[in-house]
Amino acid sequence: MGSSKLRILIPALFAFFAFQALAHDSPTGMHISTKSPQAHAFFEKGMAKMEMLHIQDGLENFRRSVKADPQFALGHIILMFFSQDPTEQVAERDKALATRASADPEEKLIIDWLANSSQSHSIPAIQAMNEALEKYPHDKHLYWLAGWWLLVDHNQSQRAVAIFEHVMQIDPRFADAYNEAAYCYARMGDFDKAFADIKRYTELVPNEPNPQDTFAEISRMAGRFEDALTHYRMSLKIDPTFNESQLGLGDTYALMGQQDRARAEYAKAITAGSPVQKVTWGLQSAATYVREGNLASADKAFSGVADQARAKDFANLEAEAYRSMSLYQLEGAASLSLLAKAEAVLKEEHKIPQSLLNEELASVLRTRVERALHDGNKELAAATFKQLQALAEANGADGLIETSLHGATGAAALADGNFADAVNNFEEDESNAISMRSLITAYEKNGQQGNAHRLSAKLAALNVPFIEQAIVVPEFRKQWASQVAAAKARPWDSHNKY
Amino acid sequence: MSLGSRICVLLLLAVSLGASSQAKQLAVIVDKTNNTGSMSATELTKVFKFDSHKWPDGRPVILVLRDPSTPEMQTAIQKLYHMQPDEFKALLAAHQSGVIMVRSEEELLKSVESIPGAVGLVDVYSINGRVNVLKVDGKLPLEQGYYLKGN
Repeated sequence: MGSSKLRILIPALFAFFAFQALAHDSPTGMHISTKSPQAHAFFEKGMAKMEMLHIQDGLENFRRSVKADPQFALGHIILMFFSQDPTEQVAERDKALATRASADPEEKLIIDWLANSSQSHSIPAIQAMNEALEKYPHDKHLYWLAGWWLLVDHNQSQRAVAIFEHVMQIDPRFADAYNEAAYCYARMGDFDKAFADIKRYTELVPNEPNPQDTFAEISRMAGRFEDALTHYRMSLKIDPTFNESQLGLGDTYALMGQQDRARAEYAKAITAGSPVQKVTWGLQSAATYVREGNLASADKAFSGVADQARAKDFANLEAEAYRSMSLYQLEGAASLSLLAKAEAVLKEEHKIPQSLLNEELASVLRTRVERALHDGNKELAAATFKQLQALAEANGADGLIETSLHGATGAAALADGNFADAVNNFEEDESNAISMRSLITAYEKNGQQGNAHRLSAKLAALNVPFIEQAIVVPEFRKQWASQVAAAKARPWDSHNKY
Repeated sequence: MSLGSRICVLLLLAVSLGASSQAKQLAVIVDKTNNTGSMSATELTKVFKFDSHKWPDGRPVILVLRDPSTPEMQTAIQKLYHMQPDEFKALLAAHQSGVIMVRSEEELLKSVESIPGAVGLVDVYSINGRVNVLKVDGKLPLEQGYYLKGN
């Protein structure tokens, strides 16, 4: 009896969702050409889940959508875009391209944009995206997707924020547009606008933990640590299982200099985290020992994380643990030995995507170039640089590998006294604390004192929970504070910028 | 948390959004009927310095430029012209017949699209399908080692 009731109930439920979905296929929605009401309903639900950052639910709905209609090209390409499984990504892209002919014009443009992008054909991808944006200016989902692509795949905060603001104009209640715009503004250093967007975001979805988490994270980025702690706690009060906020407490205490407290909060987050999160967050916890100058304990903690990563075959994270250790070693030989260990791990057979291994290998090689130059070993630096160049050439479209190459090229140029070249390269890696510090030196030596001053202020205010920040920023802040104090003591100096 | 941060963790990546570059890359755009697919940086410099007046098909070159103070033109002046702003202005004044000055990116795209022989420089993220993008030294914008890149 129960099953026959279900047989009646399920189609009725689909009919309800289909009605809802078709009702949403309004001028502010995407054109969805599937003839299957189930596929349509699942797709709409998937987008709604994604837009509320419920990723796994969103993906599951996209999978159900293309199962209900295997000819639904838009469903395949959106699933490809959000999928975290490289095999699924390729399979779904192929299915989207195979079924593209039956799609409507807007869907075809979205397929051309995202399929080209996934194959590193950036020019036709951008052309298709812009054509879609121009032709369908009232489609809030399309604009949200474009903003997200520009922000996450291309790090174009300034462009992305204009797109998210367009989404807000179409639908002032589109919550995630405010969330993403807040991050864009925070990355651009405009915290007033970032907080204005967060405020609206919290008003729109007061019962969700993420707005409080965003509020906390941006407060932390702005150096407002007490506010950050308050909002992380509010997030956990709304949803005690929202573990990212638990992690945020650890990050904030670490940046406040309270390392014991940070480790205690990290430990709670790690206990409840997924296997990947346990390792990734373990790296952040290990960095707390570097922050307090306890390098022996740091070695022990990072080695422990490396072992955990090895047990799960997260080779890129295992290598990252060794690379992190290499960064704070006082002896060059110890540092190089750890980098060799990291490289060896990455060259073993692993199940994770090669692209992830290559990206970490590029970071390892870049670190080796810097260390060799620091220790005066130009021969090793040159040989490693050649290795990194070959890796970059073989993976031309990988932005992270290219960034590592720029970091290494900048370091080599700085060592050679080619300051203009050093500036050009370090400017390509301006978010990494180590490159930022080197870029300040390059600016100063290249006669760009204004740029050096602006970047110094930015580096001194950098509040991110990464090992590079732990190594560079606390020391840099002391130097910067003494420079500012010295400059204030000579107000008659007309060159004074402080 | 942003959607990007969440997905980064799920993708086995440490969350480090903002770690890649945000340097501006300029696309060299021409009208759709222009068959030139690629130029060397040297050839491009000649075109933009008015040393090359015609395309291979014989049509005259028309430069479509924005105000020298825009970030795009700053990069162009640095990479192609190697000139001081005053010298650049003097160069433009001496070649008025070969230049169209426009006030916006949108106007630039429309001009290049509609004027046979037109060539312009635009932020790569602004391109549309109604113009062709030229390779410079065999590379398109966003490819490693692309020439017209700046902050």
